[in-house]
Amino acid sequence: MRHYEIVFLVHPDQSAQVPGMIDRYRTTIEAASGSIHRVEDWGRRHLAYPIKKLQKAHYVLMNIECDQATLDELESTFRFNDAVLRSMTIVMKEAVTEASIIASATAEENKVAAEKAAEAAKRAAEAAKPAPAPAETTEKTVVAESE
Amino acid sequence: MARQMRRKKTYSFNSGTVETAIDYKNIELLGEFVTETGKIVPSRITGTKAKAQRQITNAVKRARYIALMPFCDAHD
Repeated sequence: MRHYEIVFLVHPDQSAQVPGMIDRYRTTIEAASGSIHRVEDWGRRHLAYPIKKLQKAHYVLMNIECDQATLDELESTFRFNDAVLRSMTIVMKEAVTEASIIASATAEENKVAAEKAAEAAKRAAEAAKPAPAPAETTEKTVVAESE
Repeated sequence: MARQMRRKKTYSFNSGTVETAIDYKNIELLGEFVTETGKIVPSRITGTKAKAQRQITNAVKRARYIALMPFCDAHD
């Protein structure tokens, strides 16, 4: 059994399939008594250069421990799955379980974005409350002017 | 980035963290050893030690393959 790190790029239109794909790979690995040490979903990222005329792709990182036959099976599924744009397998010396730099960065970005969205929603809600009053007044003035 | 480091010859990593920090996923770090056109800067210019330079080269090539870094600046 060896340790591998796999990164694969999924077509952005097939992003919804990603959790299902990870589950399927998990079952194939665990059926061959291998193990998964880390799974990271980096989400849709901008590509540094276009692949198949696509500017974005959904990245998934997996650190697994399995035998050669299972790895061959996984790589062939990548090759024959049209949703997978590209995959890279690296032999590792040991199992890696802590979050990678990219995963932590995207998590932070998501946090910041969520906070911003929450703030924006709050502001919008606050702005919406006093908004009707001036709107009415303007309408009145318009009516007055037209008369 | 890389251009400012030219001829300084003193880029040093904290010893011991070299193996862990140089990784194809660490795009921010690798970006310091690549020109604006995407070429890997030689160690004689950045002052990187040979071992670290080998790891950087490998990491940049991996990052390029999975499109985390560009091969050149002439991509569409």
